[in-house]
Amino acid sequence: MIYLKKISKIFYPKSIALKDINLHIKPKEFVSIVGQSGAGKSTMIKILTAEEKASNGNVVVGGWDITDISQKEVPVLRRQIGVVYQDFKLLQKKTVFENVAFALEVCGISNSRINQVVPQVLKIVGLKDKMDRYPQQLSGGEIQRAAIARALVHRPKILLADEPTGNLDSLNTKDIIDLLLKINEFGTTVVLVTHNKDVVNRIKKRVVLLESGKLVSDEEEGKYIL
Amino acid sequence: MLSSGSRVLKFAFQDFFRNFWLSFVTLTILVLALFSINLLIIFNLVAQASIGAIEDKVNVSVYFKPEITQDQVLAVSKNLQGLNEVKDVTYISSEQALENFKTRHQDNPEILQSIDELGKNPLGASLIVTAKVTDQYTKIMQYLAEPHYDNLIESKNFDDHRLVISRISNLMSKVNTGVVAVALVFVIIALLIIFNAIRMAIYTHKEEIMAMKLLGATNWFVQAPFLLEGIIFAILSVLLTIIIVYPLVGVIQPYVSSLLETNFNLVTYFTNNFFTIFGLELLGAILINLISSYWAVSKYVRV
Ligand SMILES: Nc1ncnc2c1ncn2[C@@H]1O[C@H](COP(=O)(O)OP(=O)(O)OP(=O)(O)O)[C@@H](O)[C@H]1O
Ligand SMILES: [Mg+2]
Repeated sequence: MIYLKKISKIFYPKSIALKDINLHIKPKEFVSIVGQSGAGKSTMIKILTAEEKASNGNVVVGGWDITDISQKEVPVLRRQIGVVYQDFKLLQKKTVFENVAFALEVCGISNSRINQVVPQVLKIVGLKDKMDRYPQQLSGGEIQRAAIARALVHRPKILLADEPTGNLDSLNTKDIIDLLLKINEFGTTVVLVTHNKDVVNRIKKRVVLLESGKLVSDEEEGKYIL
Repeated sequence: MLSSGSRVLKFAFQDFFRNFWLSFVTLTILVLALFSINLLIIFNLVAQASIGAIEDKVNVSVYFKPEITQDQVLAVSKNLQGLNEVKDVTYISSEQALENFKTRHQDNPEILQSIDELGKNPLGASLIVTAKVTDQYTKIMQYLAEPHYDNLIESKNFDDHRLVISRISNLMSKVNTGVVAVALVFVIIALLIIFNAIRMAIYTHKEEIMAMKLLGATNWFVQAPFLLEGIIFAILSVLLTIIIVYPLVGVIQPYVSSLLETNFNLVTYFTNNFFTIFGLELLGAILINLISSYWAVSKYVRV
């Protein structure tokens, strides 16, 4: 599903965010990416969505070599991936419903379909009764769930979640991780970026460890060892 | 495509109303810029009209000797009318001249009495010549100075007007270049202000534009609502400008006509040239809005 072949990313003048990363993620896999702040985790996600271009190496997503993807094709790629951003990127001037609907509007889905699907997804993340609120009127956990709903609503084959439990208490964190696991059970490939040691140890799935841009360990049923 | 078109429309209007304060400020700036351009147009029209009014009062009076016959005078008149520079020649007979003289001095019995005592009309016929353009009077004067007119013409009063005429031509060319220069500076300032206002308005959408792009929106899908909003702004601002300019012109008009004593009418001018004036302003506003929106959004769609 995802191939990174000898990926490097250098931010000029001299910040090396990623160095010679080789990674293969199979369909329906659940992979946690861990590592210290500044290790290059978000950069890796950005390369997968063509937000950043790799300085070296090849990137294949869903069988599509996106190493030299053109501006025109970028939207096509992004519509096949769901992303929960570290800073959420919810639109402040739109309600929760509109924010989630927006991901479908961008893909040209009909209004009747949107009105049908969006409440379903909001129900799954437990925000059905808050769908007319604006992001400022939500708690941190609710914002993160709204961001997940938006990342899922177009049924992507791949879900990339960058710190989706960033500032949450353990109960909220558990809810969100359970949600991700459930999504994964339904057949979506999930890439989870996290700092949270307990999370990684609890889910008992594959763990990839980055250290200053280098991939230093990659284990099935790994543990967060730091 | 149909649903994406209606979505563009929806987003454009949603943005307009949800950012009402910003929309209001942008619109105000547009209206102020357009209004100032119209003020400039009004000023220019009034200036032209006043120059025209003064010019109309400038002429050369050619007084003929009393013994010259009407036929001779009319022959000169015909020659003058044949000149390229001459706009109009009015003939005043000696009887008419005497009549005018008497009415002008009707309060002065001494003068009237001395005229009566003379027993015959001391005044000759005269011609009032107006030129097409004020600086052509010198040419007309040169023509009238030819020797064969010497024994026909008693006097010409152009000299009295020479200074006024040269001042007017001077003033006119100065006003013209002044107005053009002011207009140019003004249009540039207006363009920069509008450009900046739109750039600011779109800057507040920076995050939103980038988020749209990350969700897989095409550049067109991101751009279109802003371009449409630019067109809506342009149309609204021109409408508001029309609503402001007409009453203003209506208020100014009586002063202009009483001051200049002409039948030049600002309101009629604006009505007759409605589509030229406001059509061009609309076109200009749409163009500048589209260009600034496109440029401002382009900076953020490259995510
Ligand atoms: N646009 C950029 N320009 C220059 N350097 C950058 C840029 N983006 C990231 N970096 C650098 O690349 C390195 C990796 O950044 P990245 O955001 O991938 O870290 P991270 O692992 O996601 O950290 P965190 O856990 O804090 O989110 C950092 O040293 C960062 O300073
Ligand atoms: Mg990060």
